[in-house]
Amino acid sequence: MNQNQQPQQTSSSEGRSSADDDSALSDFLSSLTDYTPTIPDELVQHYLAKSGFQCPDVRLTRLVAVATQKFVAEVAGDALQHCKARQASIPKDKRDRQQKDRRLVLTMEDLSKALREYGVNLRHQEYFADNPSTGMDPATRDE
Amino acid sequence: MSNGNGKTGKQIEQAGPTCRRKKVSGGDEFAQAIAKIAVAQVCESKGFQGFQQSALETMSDVTARYIMSIGKSANSYANLAGRAECNIFDVIQGLEDMGYAQGFTGASDIDHWLEDSGVVREISQFVNEVEPVMFAHPIPPFPVVKERVLPPSFLQKGEEPPDDHIPAWLPAFPDPETFSQSATVNGRGTEPHATKVENDNSNGDRPLLNSQQQIVSSMFGNTAMNDPAVPKANTVAAESNPFLAAPLKFEDKEVASIAPPAKFFNNTVASDIPILENFVENEPISVLETFAPAIEAIKSTCSDSREDQTKFPVKEKPTVRFKVGTKNKFLARSIGLIPQNEEHNKTLPWFAMEDEKDDRKRRAEKILRESLENPDQLVQL
Repeated sequence: MNQNQQPQQTSSSEGRSSADDDSALSDFLSSLTDYTPTIPDELVQHYLAKSGFQCPDVRLTRLVAVATQKFVAEVAGDALQHCKARQASIPKDKRDRQQKDRRLVLTMEDLSKALREYGVNLRHQEYFADNPSTGMDPATRDE
Repeated sequence: MSNGNGKTGKQIEQAGPTCRRKKVSGGDEFAQAIAKIAVAQVCESKGFQGFQQSALETMSDVTARYIMSIGKSANSYANLAGRAECNIFDVIQGLEDMGYAQGFTGASDIDHWLEDSGVVREISQFVNEVEPVMFAHPIPPFPVVKERVLPPSFLQKGEEPPDDHIPAWLPAFPDPETFSQSATVNGRGTEPHATKVENDNSNGDRPLLNSQQQIVSSMFGNTAMNDPAVPKANTVAAESNPFLAAPLKFEDKEVASIAPPAKFFNNTVASDIPILENFVENEPISVLETFAPAIEAIKSTCSDSREDQTKFPVKEKPTVRFKVGTKNKFLARSIGLIPQNEEHNKTLPWFAMEDEKDDRKRRAEKILRESLENPDQLVQL
């Protein structure tokens, strides 16, 4: 962060005055205020209030909003990777692939795979049985 | 429900989850809908072109839980430090807790500055790299708190509390008119407004103070005694509350005929004493008048204890058999069929007045006879 703002008289790291901490963080927070998170402030405030979080400072709400957006973006990115990998591996004729399956759709399959790394375990209901691996344990399924 | 392909299944899932959710979630649907839009926008910015409904809902639910979990851990860190309000360090610690599953740089450092934390660094990286995407719609602040209209207290109304044990800052008692009619046993709708209006028009004819009498009189085809109080009561009651409006006259609506319940006539004899005493002052006769035909009918069926007032002119329906032996005896005694002591007479003052006003009785009997002759012209409930 902004380590160069440390005053010269304090040599050890424990001697950093509180003013520096504040300025470091306030710089960080001010950089946040330029960024408008996609998740609206009202929504974040609603869910934070539901869980008991109390803070009049709107910058903290923005911080939480940005952190959540980062989380969603990461999960979406992982799911996208899975989706693309699945499309690449399915042997289909080229004409089909170009037109229809190019369309990247967020499916429960990809989402559950992506979320598993984040500690969220999803089991979703199979609506159909056209796949021979339907109903099997997801760990043993190979796709 | 199977459509052969999970990707096209999202259309079917649209109706299902939303109906299900209405029963389960309670008041949070607005927030969930907004979360869905926000999550969809973020995914779209990442490159997705379409979503499965269930996947989108799941993701928005996970996002909501993520926010709540950050809030919860930040709040608990603040409480640990003896504060009620959270500050940035609590939030950073909360974020670190969330990040342990995935991992961040410097997670294993036991002694690091919070502002140097890996999560903060990653967030600032994210902010610098990614372009902000505005949320699609303007949102009002929610949840909206409804203003509660409190009932006025004794002080606000300027009234004196009736007793010493009631402090003046408590809400005042409601007006007596709102609950005075609630003593009717029959359970039919009470009509406070209708009652007020009818009380004001003291009619020589039969003022209908009670919904029961209205129903009884209307069942006898009372088009003859169309007193002006009733239509006025109808309009007043209908304006205020359609459920409290007076019952319609025969011509107004086609309704199915039903047999009147047994307790209708028997209970009113025994249990409406306070109300009947009330309008004994106004019109002492009207109760008897309205019940005179019923009493005639009961007289005729008095001997037959098994059969009920289904002998009463109604359309052909399977007779409902009630055990009315004891009650019939009581009635029969009260109208003088069975010889009784003087004390019995005193307890039933309103029946004692049957000796007066014979022409009203005659009129009621005439109406009963007419209704017997023309059963399909009867007013039925």
